[in-house]
Amino acid sequence: MICCKECIELLYSYLEGELSAEMETSLEEHFADCPPCIAFVNTYKATTLLCKNTLKSNDIPDTIKIKLKEFVDKNKPDFL
Amino acid sequence: MKFSDPTKDTLTEEQLVKDLQAGEMGSFEQLANLYQKKIYTLSFNLTRNITDSQDVTQEVLLILFRKGHTFQGKSAFSSWVYRITINASYMKLRTRKKEPKVSIEDILPTFNQGGFQYEKIQDWSENTESLLFGNETRDIIQKAVDLLPDKEKVVFILRDVEGLSSEKAGNILEISIPAVKSRLHRARLFLRKKLANYFWEYKTRKESK
Ligand SMILES: [Zn+2]
Repeated sequence: MICCKECIELLYSYLEGELSAEMETSLEEHFADCPPCIAFVNTYKATTLLCKNTLKSNDIPDTIKIKLKEFVDKNKPDFL
Repeated sequence: MKFSDPTKDTLTEEQLVKDLQAGEMGSFEQLANLYQKKIYTLSFNLTRNITDSQDVTQEVLLILFRKGHTFQGKSAFSSWVYRITINASYMKLRTRKKEPKVSIEDILPTFNQGGFQYEKIQDWSENTESLLFGNETRDIIQKAVDLLPDKEKVVFILRDVEGLSSEKAGNILEISIPAVKSRLHRARLFLRKKLANYFWEYKTRKESK
């Protein structure tokens, strides 16, 4: 039987659907019997989501937006 | 909701690149509007510094104003914007004093000799909703990302935060697709471990109250 360590190494490819059907089945058979791995998979997925939501929500501060607008007005090319 | 319609974005971008090539005047403001948030956010996630990110955004916009019209096609254009933003951000990081390197090796749970996990792993994935909106959690997540080595960090940001494909990320960073995938997996493992430690402490703190 495939061990936890191997499952975790293959986790990326498993989630991307890149494993052979045979490998996929052995991972799933392992997960069915291994609560720590289930917890690992869930938290691995949650990590991606949490980080994405947090980092995506960094907007440009209003003071910087104003400075950028001034900068664009001053520096945009003017061919006419 | 803040989600933008991706199909709409794509159309605007394509049209914009065409306008630029045709030398349309108004397109420079549109160009700035469309790209400045992307440039600023990417730079801020790499440098975590407001002034540096403003500088980078201005530098990149200037380059876009000067050279944007030389681009054929939208895909090449956006890859180019990502690439010059990353390079300009790295130039900023280079002038800073070096932080001590964090090892990315210690990212796996503990296994026994047969390769099985024997510690009890806490599954906090169900509780993230209630944790997510606290400023403390935000802080922890940003700090954890900041601790990633540069190579893993930039891959993580392009793939998981910006949502680019492995192909496109590999193209921007000029590395192979397998390299993108293995760096992304390592980055996720590293971040998972940092967050697991944090949620564990958080739980213990709550229970001891
Ligand atoms: Zn297992």
